Amino acid sequence: MTISTPPAGPRPVTRPRRRRGLIFTGLAAYLVTFLIVLPILWVTVLSLQPSDTILSDPFSIKTLTFDNYRNAVASLPLLQMYKNTLIVALASVTIGAIVSFMASYALTRMVFRHPTARSSLRFYFLAGLAVPVYVLLFPIYRIDLALGIFGTYAALILPYIAVSIPFNTLLLTGFLREFPKELEEAAIIDGAGLFRICWSVVLPTMRPVIATILIFNVVYVFNEFPFVSILINNPDLATVSLAVSKFQGQYTVDYGGMMAAATLVLLPQLVIYAVFQRHVIAGLTAGAVKG
Amino acid sequence: MVWVSSRWKIALMLAPALALFTAFFVYPVGYAIAYSFTNSAGFGGAKFVGIDNYTALLDDPFFWQSLRNTVVILVVSLVILIPSSFALALLLRRRIAFAGGLRALVFGPAIIAPILVGLMWVFILDPKIGLLNRLLEPLGVGPIQWIGGNSLTPYSVSLVFVWSSIGFAMTIFYAGLQLVPNDVIEAAKLDGATSWQQLRHVTIPMMRETFAIVTVLLITNVFKIFELVYMLTGGGPVHRSETLVSYMYFVTFTNQRYGSGMAIAVVIFVLGALTSLAYLAAARRRSLA
Amino acid sequence: MFGRKFTGRRQRLAGVVLAVSSLVALAACSSATDAQSKDGKTTITLSMQNPNVKTADPATWAIVKAFEKANPDIHVEVSGQAVAEHLQALSIAAQSDTLPDVFWVYKATAEDMLKAGKLMNLKPTLDDLGITPHLPKSTVSNFTAQDKIYGVPYQGLLTGLWVNKKILSDNGLEQPTTFDDLVNVAKKLKSKGIVTISDGANQSSFSVWSFLVWLDRFGFEDKIDAILDGSESYDNADFVRMYEHIAQLRDAGAFASNVSTQTYQQAVDQYLKGKAAMLDAGVWASSAIQDSQVAADTVFWNGATFADGVGDQNIVMNVASAPLVVDHKVAGNSKKLAAVKKFLGFYYSDAAQQLLVDNGQPPVTDYEPKIDATKQSVLKSALDVARDPKLASPQSQPDLLVSTAVSSAMYDSIYGVIQDQLSPRQAVDLVQKALDAE
Repeated sequence: MTISTPPAGPRPVTRPRRRRGLIFTGLAAYLVTFLIVLPILWVTVLSLQPSDTILSDPFSIKTLTFDNYRNAVASLPLLQMYKNTLIVALASVTIGAIVSFMASYALTRMVFRHPTARSSLRFYFLAGLAVPVYVLLFPIYRIDLALGIFGTYAALILPYIAVSIPFNTLLLTGFLREFPKELEEAAIIDGAGLFRICWSVVLPTMRPVIATILIFNVVYVFNEFPFVSILINNPDLATVSLAVSKFQGQYTVDYGGMMAAATLVLLPQLVIYAVFQRHVIAGLTAGAVKG
Repeated sequence: MVWVSSRWKIALMLAPALALFTAFFVYPVGYAIAYSFTNSAGFGGAKFVGIDNYTALLDDPFFWQSLRNTVVILVVSLVILIPSSFALALLLRRRIAFAGGLRALVFGPAIIAPILVGLMWVFILDPKIGLLNRLLEPLGVGPIQWIGGNSLTPYSVSLVFVWSSIGFAMTIFYAGLQLVPNDVIEAAKLDGATSWQQLRHVTIPMMRETFAIVTVLLITNVFKIFELVYMLTGGGPVHRSETLVSYMYFVTFTNQRYGSGMAIAVVIFVLGALTSLAYLAAARRRSLA
Repeated sequence: MFGRKFTGRRQRLAGVVLAVSSLVALAACSSATDAQSKDGKTTITLSMQNPNVKTADPATWAIVKAFEKANPDIHVEVSGQAVAEHLQALSIAAQSDTLPDVFWVYKATAEDMLKAGKLMNLKPTLDDLGITPHLPKSTVSNFTAQDKIYGVPYQGLLTGLWVNKKILSDNGLEQPTTFDDLVNVAKKLKSKGIVTISDGANQSSFSVWSFLVWLDRFGFEDKIDAILDGSESYDNADFVRMYEHIAQLRDAGAFASNVSTQTYQQAVDQYLKGKAAMLDAGVWASSAIQDSQVAADTVFWNGATFADGVGDQNIVMNVASAPLVVDHKVAGNSKKLAAVKKFLGFYYSDAAQQLLVDNGQPPVTDYEPKIDATKQSVLKSALDVARDPKLASPQSQPDLLVSTAVSSAMYDSIYGVIQDQLSPRQAVDLVQKALDAE
């Protein structure tokens, strides 16, 4: 049995028909993708316009300029911000994924003495999905102060982990439930312990889901704003999402600067995602074909 | 599985997540619930006022307006988003040149910070300076109040939400499709099932859990929509396009009625949890039937 | 077939992930720099309502830099966020008693903070420095509560309408003075497709300055005490009449079609591009106007007078804006106290007041500034109106005399009529409801 394979479409059909079908689906895919990407292209165009042209005449070609990027690069400590964001993202996402995986494994695979304990614990985690994050700001600020971690990376990392747990648990328990247990049972018969089962048996097969979780969590950390704006008051620790907000003032907004900063933040993320997901899916497909 | 399920092992596996989640999530929520029964302004003394904040909500037309808007966005988004993102996942699984690149691009909107998504769409939807009306103008279509008018804003917000979530939902569906065992599909094919029959009777039933995940995530995300509305209309005109969270933000931070704001937050939490549970219960009953 | 698969493949990814996470967890423990003393310097923190003070609030930035130059032993750490986040951060900080040393905050919030014991009484300091006599009496009394002076004026709030004379004359119109003139201007310009008054409600519902002046032309100042103690209603004939006038202006087509989706910044831009005849704003916009194509055509107008108004119609809104306040903990730290005292002394010195003027802001003391009549023509036209002996100023802007919840209801009521969401009756009712909830 294989975990997955890219479907090849209906096989025994005659060649021309199949090719026509493929061309049609290909065109449809490109068209849909184009429509989805269109607004992003629009922003890229806007980011090349001076702020006042954005408001009055965004189609104007002769005013195109890289000034916004020059300003953004000059006024933002880009390296520092990416460093901060990466530190916070790596720490919170890896720890978050590990603790969520451990909990999800226990919640789907391990045998509880009271069966209701399992479902109520799962619900305990999942209920977090319904909480708007603004509720957490005041109390977490106070906890960070009480723990003496206010003004450090940890002030952001710990709440980010907590916030990622409900989502991670939902995804991991969902996939673990759908996933056959035979593999682990075979490993137990081979005499594997809990750690080896998780590490060498379950985690490898969960790769696409883990990848999904990592990607979503990293994206969350890159874009998160309410917590950073409250918990980080030291500009040296600012993350990229704080950077974009710097273009907004009480009576002024530098739209061009915001668009440029947004593009500067967005592009590396897209590239990283493109590389990362291809890698994950390639590894997965190879494993499936060989398996 | 019983072999690895000693009590301390279960405890060990659960402890880190439980500790972090309880300290940085459950405790704050409890704190907010407690404050929803006070007249706190955020600082200074807080007086216990019982359920006054909640009864005041019943009387608050802006609260009902924001609830109505949230429900409209919820229904419109789910109806459009679930089928289209699933179809997109199926489509991008096909053998297409650069399918991986397409998947990355479709995921693009999900990467953009919501506050920027809102800002971007201002330049598309704004009745005067937006791209959409500028494109419609030569076609003789008069300026349409996509946002900021009396009726269309919630639908426009739904559209933007669908746009920003479709890659996210598609990716989860895609990951779920990878886990559908191929031999089952092969067996169906040998039985002569058409593609549609395979989809309808094999793939979709096997992905029940994935559908549940996507739906619950979307429901809870709709109940958290804030930045989109904040950027598109600021909740206006006069709170007409407010969602529950944007109205909560207004009450808590603009009006500095922390107690009342937390009461709205509790309502959001309860509604989000109930809607998700109702969906899960319905899905489970259907799968048993 | 399962066995082959998992024994054959090692999970590099997971190993890397674990190694990185433990490294990062260590890095996370390294803490931020200690803000208290930098090379023996005393540091005071100044928190403002703009994320980038240097570009968005050049006047404050210039004063801070000049102050640091004059006092090399003091470092002023300037930080800031957009208004909404700034206020949110302040209320959270106030709750945990971790406010910045000096900060900008709305008057109503400042008074709540004073009640909660979070602010320092500046009276002794100001008396000591001899600043009080140089500040307008109304300002001092505005920032006084419980016999304490809790705030000092940050910048002047000189508001009204910026008028593009050229748009008016090109359309055969004269500068209006009465409300009826204004309605006629709006009707004429509407027929030409020109916006009369540029306003934007999106995320800036507070941008109704010229209409707050209207409230004062309908007796707000005389009524407010009675309204606050409940003996008079906001729902009174005078105010209803005022809102009816807003509706008339709206029906005359004075406002932009996208007034509800455009932000205040877009409204300003509309004016700067010569696409609106008037801009509802204040003196802070003078620098932007000065740098724009409409600079030469712009004059400042204190707003329309009403034949059916209440009280003096010859007024100009020239009051103190939101205050700068000082954290109560500064009083207990002699070094910081000395530094803050020096800072305040400098802020209200003639040199610093001239810096305000150089950056397009009116002085907040009785200092007579030097203005370049050509390079600062826009600012000058506003200051000329402000100093016109025939015009009196209200004590304070109406929204500054009520709580934040009531002031946002006031903004909503005005924009509600402008956007045709509320009838004049519903508008006053909205504000009265907010008052009742107090």
